[in-house]
Amino acid sequence: MLRIGIDIGGTFTDFAVWNGEAAGYTAVAALKVPSTPPHFAAGVQRGLEALLAQGRIRADQEMLIVHGTTVSTNAVIERSGPPLALLVTAGFRDILGVARLRLDRPVDLFARRPAPLIPRHRVHEIDERILADGSIDRPLDPDGVVAAARAAIASGAAAIAVCFLHAYRNPAHEQAAGAAIRAALGDVDVVLSHEVWPQQSEYERASAALLNAYARRAMSGYIAELEGWLATTLPKARLLVTKSNGGVMAAGEATRMPIHTLLSGPAAGVTASAALGAMLGEANLLTMDMGGTSTDISMIRDGRIMVSHDGRVGEFPLMMPVTAIEAIGAGGGSIAWLDGPVLKVGPRSAGAAPGPACYGRGGTLPTVSDAYLLCGYLSEDAPLAGGLHLHRALADTAMAPIAATLSRDSAAAAEAVLAVATANMLANALPFIARLGVAPAELTLMIFGGAGAIHGPLLADEIGIGRVVIPRVASVFCAYGCLVSDLLYDVVRSVHGEALDAAAVAAIFAGLRGQGADWLAAQAGDAAPAFEYAADIRYAGQSFDVSVGLDASTAERGDLAAIAAAFHAEHGRLFGHASPRADIEIMALRLRVRGNLPRPGAVARPLAQGTPPHRTRRARFAGAWHDTPLFAWADLPVGWRAAGPAIIEQETATVVVPPAFTVAVGPYGDLVLDRER
Amino acid sequence: MDPVRTEVMRNRFAAIAEEASNVAYRTAYTTFVKQTQDYQVALASLDGEFFAYPMRAGVTSSVCQNVRGLVDEIGLDTLKPGDIVITNDPFSGDALCTHTMDIHLLRPVFRDGRIIAFAWAFIHASDIGGAVPGSISPTSYEVFQEGVRIRPALLYREGELNAQLWHFFADNSRIPELIWGDLQAMLAGLALLDTRMQELCARYGTAALRDSIADVIALSELKARQAIARLTDGSYEFSDYLEAYNGDGHIFLHARMTVAGDSLAVDFSGSDPQVRYALNFVTGERAHPFLCMPVINWIQTVEPTIPVTGGIIRPIRTHAPKGTLMNAEFPAAMGNRWVAVMRVYDAVLGCLNQALPGGLAAAGSGQAGIISVAAVDARTGRRHVSVVEPFIGGSGGRQGADGVDGIDQPVAFLRSAPAEVVEVETSLVLRSFRFEPGSAAPGRHRGGYAMRIELENRGLAATVTVRGLDRFRVQPWGVAGGACGSAASAVLNPGTPEERDIGKIDVLEMRRGDVLRMITPSGGGFGDPFTRDPALVLSEVADGLLTAEQARAQYGVAGDAEATAALRAGPRPPPGSFSLGPARTALEAKWPPAASMALATRAMAAPAALRAHILAALRADLACTDGSVTPAAVAAAPDP
Repeated sequence: MLRIGIDIGGTFTDFAVWNGEAAGYTAVAALKVPSTPPHFAAGVQRGLEALLAQGRIRADQEMLIVHGTTVSTNAVIERSGPPLALLVTAGFRDILGVARLRLDRPVDLFARRPAPLIPRHRVHEIDERILADGSIDRPLDPDGVVAAARAAIASGAAAIAVCFLHAYRNPAHEQAAGAAIRAALGDVDVVLSHEVWPQQSEYERASAALLNAYARRAMSGYIAELEGWLATTLPKARLLVTKSNGGVMAAGEATRMPIHTLLSGPAAGVTASAALGAMLGEANLLTMDMGGTSTDISMIRDGRIMVSHDGRVGEFPLMMPVTAIEAIGAGGGSIAWLDGPVLKVGPRSAGAAPGPACYGRGGTLPTVSDAYLLCGYLSEDAPLAGGLHLHRALADTAMAPIAATLSRDSAAAAEAVLAVATANMLANALPFIARLGVAPAELTLMIFGGAGAIHGPLLADEIGIGRVVIPRVASVFCAYGCLVSDLLYDVVRSVHGEALDAAAVAAIFAGLRGQGADWLAAQAGDAAPAFEYAADIRYAGQSFDVSVGLDASTAERGDLAAIAAAFHAEHGRLFGHASPRADIEIMALRLRVRGNLPRPGAVARPLAQGTPPHRTRRARFAGAWHDTPLFAWADLPVGWRAAGPAIIEQETATVVVPPAFTVAVGPYGDLVLDRER
Repeated sequence: MDPVRTEVMRNRFAAIAEEASNVAYRTAYTTFVKQTQDYQVALASLDGEFFAYPMRAGVTSSVCQNVRGLVDEIGLDTLKPGDIVITNDPFSGDALCTHTMDIHLLRPVFRDGRIIAFAWAFIHASDIGGAVPGSISPTSYEVFQEGVRIRPALLYREGELNAQLWHFFADNSRIPELIWGDLQAMLAGLALLDTRMQELCARYGTAALRDSIADVIALSELKARQAIARLTDGSYEFSDYLEAYNGDGHIFLHARMTVAGDSLAVDFSGSDPQVRYALNFVTGERAHPFLCMPVINWIQTVEPTIPVTGGIIRPIRTHAPKGTLMNAEFPAAMGNRWVAVMRVYDAVLGCLNQALPGGLAAAGSGQAGIISVAAVDARTGRRHVSVVEPFIGGSGGRQGADGVDGIDQPVAFLRSAPAEVVEVETSLVLRSFRFEPGSAAPGRHRGGYAMRIELENRGLAATVTVRGLDRFRVQPWGVAGGACGSAASAVLNPGTPEERDIGKIDVLEMRRGDVLRMITPSGGGFGDPFTRDPALVLSEVADGLLTAEQARAQYGVAGDAEATAALRAGPRPPPGSFSLGPARTALEAKWPPAASMALATRAMAAPAALRAHILAALRADLACTDGSVTPAAVAAAPDP
């Protein structure tokens, strides 16, 4: 079946198209059209119309459109959602204001805790209480619920979220409250915390319920608009939406549970990296998506995407599993400046407007992109994506004050700026890598997004990564990620403090499997479910748990001894020690359900001979100018190989091969850089 | 200073410090390390100043400590590659270690036969023996109750474990295997730091590395001096008080801060001698961060790009006479010292307010309450201890910003636990854990709200321990016309015939069904409340945090602009600098700070073992006199 991936960025909306039959990954086609903020659907429609006009797709074709959208994310970050109300257990009205107490920068005398998503007067205390074991201590006061809901609606609340203590263990009161509100007030949008994410931790669960309610309006409006347009233009298209866990879901599910899209933007690129890495036999990857103001990095280990249970969107926590992303405040627009006697780069960025000085759009401050131009990595002769021409003289002027202070020429100053920018990235990337206990030398760096192909090799060189891959479709890599992602559903059951025997564990997993199968069926997927089992476990009395993968027979039989053994082994692997005789506590049982979708596979291109034509450009490496061969990526045959330095240009990206590296075109048309030992 | 290399190396140093801290964290055993991150791993220069210090994990406030005292104790020339120095002795090593629960480790980093740096680590050990599990009791009065003590010694000699030393230590802890696990984790972090330093030497050259260490520290100093130069030159004094555990006694603290150009000094002469509670701490001879924390925080606030190194404290001198609460001598107990550190913080903050035109911030709640509960597990018959919640209270209103609700600056790294977790792990039910309406001190920028907690015991019996409580009488002060914060309270079984005000507790036995309600202090206010934006006041009324009556009385704000203008038109009290609250005002009416200083100074002149007794006796004698006590009266009083 035809499959189209669409990813919306701030500047461009990217399309990746796979016709479902031809040569797999190497046949994936790319298209970029300008984004149309704030009405992003227009750009999507324009791109699809262009694909129709080019004859790449037909209006009557069956197709799967997989779409990454950040409309919910934007609503949360800009706090542009509708007013909401929250009902909580009596005694906990400040659940949002207290949060988890701690401040992010304790030494800052002007540090603040972020303002809650909704003010205190929209939080209502309800007389009810369920205890830790799920027993009812005080019955729910339904009249109080209805009165609070009426007051909330009267004061303008667009939806009502409900989070009662221990609802993850016994949802009866949340369910009764929801029913009472609907019975009394009719068609009111009610979000119950245990339905969004039934995990222990009331602040995070309340936040999840609120975020889901908050994002719903933006998401449902967007999906409705797009589906309406598709119904007339591409009637046989089925719309799927990407999730923060790297998978996808049906559009209807995205409308119901938009919370799962909040971190989906960067996740798709990591999914793409894992897919391409599998084709290339690269199981351990550091991914790098470098944009104008920041750089997102993530990791793949043994082919598995690194998952985080403490993601953040804007100022709010997300405790469901999401692809782990570290954002580094360094990008192509980061501004270089003198801080007293030392040179700094960022965190301030020239952004898209006015942009780097060399863009000629009014920016006068020197940026990382200006440094690329002055070092010869970018060129006045090669416009950027979107036809933007660069101006060396403007970059030179902008760099002049720094050059004067450093007593160097502007190119040498530019190289110093890049050294500092690289050091900034290193200071964030190395600790991130260290978290998984991996040495940089074991990793391959996979690069996508704007400036990454210039800076990635510089970073790899600095931190000791030996191989760099630049995908053939790097410029639309997140859209490509939409082509290779599966239906993916995570479900959790908190069991902290429950007395578990084998039968109980087996029954819980069976229940989770049922939920997962139902979810998959509801996505209209005919895919057979594949189940991945896990448990969050810790040593008794500790407060730090480890998520442990379980094999199917262990999980389905509820084999407690095997579960404990798996925990001790994982603890040993992660932390270097285990205490096999110590008591353990199981905190939560988890299940991930995967429904495979058709994806472009690995079909290698034949090796080709030929010496591609090249020009040369002066480029600066390690303090010296090199006459550097300059190639067009399109001219390079599979199997081609050259020693650095080299520069390889493509319509949407420039790849810089530093002198220490060799470059080759891999079997699927990707560039592979290897550092000489 | 090389403008490029300095910044590149600062980033390199930060990366390896974070990496090593992470290794230690991942491989550590105990909850103290895992949950509260009370540990650290860092690199110090030959002079003992930290130049590579993690900021993302572990304790971030020790960066201005200095390891050189520990090195000198053992002897620099005696160190060999593979050596590991261990100590938990606060009475040696020039106050690197500030209570016995902190175990410090030091590994010299050699290159070409010479030491180029020191890798350092510490953990807060969850138990090192002593009178109580966990080794900390607020009412311990001698270090001997606080576990075993090891002066600086070699745990490893050239890579060989000194097993006898370790066995001696292990035999005196309730959980030796766990502590050993934590130590191994820290050692792994130290080994990694050594490896990374070798790699940097190979990459950049040893000489360049040594120069870069000096440059990065010098850059911190330069920026710290820039920050201090913004303060108004002069000498500023401020006092504050800790409350005793029995009766209505108090402990007097006095700070004098002198700013001269780009350097600064803090002196605690005139403060009370050390006490027979676990409230003492040591600060040694050189500048110590515990005596100038607000200054260090302020420097990092106004110079956000300052490298986080020991260079920050270079322009600062601190002094506390030996034998005072804040530079205690053997055998002082120190387990509960953090609340005393916070009161020292308040005293220095009082000085800093005077050195900045327009002031800086009011006092925060000023306590470091940690609630824990011990109960016998009905299933296993074993007694176990669980931490319930940190219990702090709001910070002070600040120049341009309200105080933070529910937490105070010096403990702003603490995280609360979900009620849902606490209720699974303990026999307690949390009936509430929220802000206390009406508790914020009025000000143009109000203080942070107090926290309220209500705990009900559903088990057979439970022992609740709360360390770090204070400010039950002496309220957090307000500044620049802001009101003072509210005092703390603790009531058992409120609203029942058995209701009992139990004051500042340390240990409480709760029967089944008992309810404990505690309210923290709240932060002081900043600036005249009658100048607060009425919209902010009204939004707090709408939020149920203030009553309409409080809005009128405290802020002169009524429902509409006209009425507000009328209320605010009346005469205002002069914008006094500090608002101290009735308890402190009454105390100082009898004991002006000058008299308290004279009394403390006289007591300090006596032999150490007699000081507390002399202080108490003279204080009692002079309290019976009429009117204010004068310094002259203190001097003239006969020896007790």
